[in-house]
Amino acid sequence: MELSKANITTRQAFSERMLEYGAINKDFVVFEADIGYSTYSHLFGDAYPERYFNMGIAESNTMAAAAGMAADGRTVIACSYGVFITMRALEAIRTFICYPNLNVKFLSSHGGLTPAVDGVTHQATEDIGIMTTLPNMKVLAPADTESAKKIFDVAIKTPGPVFIRLMRDPLFDIYSKEDTFKIAGSKTIQEGKDLTVVTYGDIVFQALEAADELEKENIFIEVIDMYSIKPFDEKSLLNSISKTGALLVVEDHQKRNGLGYELSNFCLKNKPILFDNLGLDDTFAESGNYYKIIDKYGISKKHIFNKVKELIFKKRRGK
Amino acid sequence: MNNKFQNFEERVQYLKVKAKEVRTNIIDMIFTAHSGHPGGALSAADIMTALYFDILKIDPNNPRWPDRDRFILSKGHACPVWYSCLAMRGYFPTKELKTLRKFESILQGHPDMRKTPGVDMTTGSLGQGLSLGVGMALEGKLVKKNYHIYVILGDGEINEGQIWEAAASASKYKLDNLTAIVDKNNLQMDGFTEKVMPMDPIDKKFEAFNWYVMTINGHNMKEILIALEEVKKIKGKPVCIIANTIKGKGVSFMENIREWHGKAPNQQEYKIAIKEIEGKQ
Repeated sequence: MELSKANITTRQAFSERMLEYGAINKDFVVFEADIGYSTYSHLFGDAYPERYFNMGIAESNTMAAAAGMAADGRTVIACSYGVFITMRALEAIRTFICYPNLNVKFLSSHGGLTPAVDGVTHQATEDIGIMTTLPNMKVLAPADTESAKKIFDVAIKTPGPVFIRLMRDPLFDIYSKEDTFKIAGSKTIQEGKDLTVVTYGDIVFQALEAADELEKENIFIEVIDMYSIKPFDEKSLLNSISKTGALLVVEDHQKRNGLGYELSNFCLKNKPILFDNLGLDDTFAESGNYYKIIDKYGISKKHIFNKVKELIFKKRRGK
Repeated sequence: MNNKFQNFEERVQYLKVKAKEVRTNIIDMIFTAHSGHPGGALSAADIMTALYFDILKIDPNNPRWPDRDRFILSKGHACPVWYSCLAMRGYFPTKELKTLRKFESILQGHPDMRKTPGVDMTTGSLGQGLSLGVGMALEGKLVKKNYHIYVILGDGEINEGQIWEAAASASKYKLDNLTAIVDKNNLQMDGFTEKVMPMDPIDKKFEAFNWYVMTINGHNMKEILIALEEVKKIKGKPVCIIANTIKGKGVSFMENIREWHGKAPNQQEYKIAIKEIEGKQ
């Protein structure tokens, strides 16, 4: 599949849609914690200063104040980096937003290893595990410009707290204006019969590139973009694995408590099949070029290629 | 609420009687539940009574009335005092007070906005209530309504750094619709505040964050009312009232004793406590 380079990053796309939506809907407000020029929330702030609250470098206060503002039903979009939202401000989110089920949406930039050059302090490689654990929280992770914009609409129209994982740098674009997105939805980007690869966010592109290489060896994988991580699209997953009989989950996240753990649990209960997952293997990463880092830490196209071949070998031997 | 009185003195007398009833309910509830936090509930009882029976613009028949004043008990563990006020004001039947902390009760161990009518915000994790109040006050400014947000803080919980993040943000946005009342009873769970984590001078700290600060005797109903009336006249700044109080106030054997932070009285202690409260003016 031919990938076209993205002009903008998903964090920018999401914030551009937030700005557009600000003209249509006057009811939501935006909270920022002093990284507005990085999350691009400043676009909204410049246009609607009375609906934009920059609370400074104080994420816990930002999220708890967002809860206070949302207490009587107001929708709030709270912006920061994944590491700070999901860890520094976790308790405010858990106890004062998720517990009373308030309408706060989290623009969470720098997901996974996408801030590779920034190093471990800024790499949110536990965010999905932490957020999916919280009752009432929904978790979304768009892969490209178009999906980031549409997922803004999905998030703001979904009641209760929603966490949206975005990326640091522009990668590729795969979706068009006709594509639609929804809670508990997924996109089967490439159809295949031999094995299902489920992924989300930046790793979607690694999976697609691996698929091209595998095709040369007559291995046809199905690639599903599971952009709605919680809740996830059980039906599409079941359909796909019923057809292929093998599942590989690849994610830019710790293996532990990521989507891989969730789906292995699901398969064990509903349809035990050949399964494996790729992710950070109980380790922190480090600073460096994004492509070198994802390769070193086991989630690049090379690792997907090798793992698929290993699983296909097992599958064929098993027959 | 205060129109029905001939003069200030009558208003004060009325509140003093109500405060006794609030305290009786606190002891009753915690005794029945065999668990709870009497010390900090009793220290806040006079302030809470003044708020709920005089100051707050609220409608118990319409707990979510959009124009109501908001109240946040940041020191959520003291909730028996809040539940007592809410029941007495008719948010729910007083018989519910007997269900505190019990299975499927509307009265959770710490305040829950989804379960208890009249509870504007869930609290219980210390150091967060002022941030929640900042959000509510920003909402009030955004919708251009003149309701007021009152937050009661413990003097122990201001150890939490987030209180000072909130203090800075309230000042930035000139939230004169936000009032923090510090229930300064000088005790926290592990002992006297000056030993565990000294925070004095609290007034200077809030002043340094550009708050308008008043200091009162938190058990003197006249001083409480005068301060709460003055709050409404302050423009352009959030207000902090440091209320000097006594932990366990009203029950002699609980006063200033660390152990009564989170302990229920036994049968004998219960009888003495009720007698003391009812005997006192």
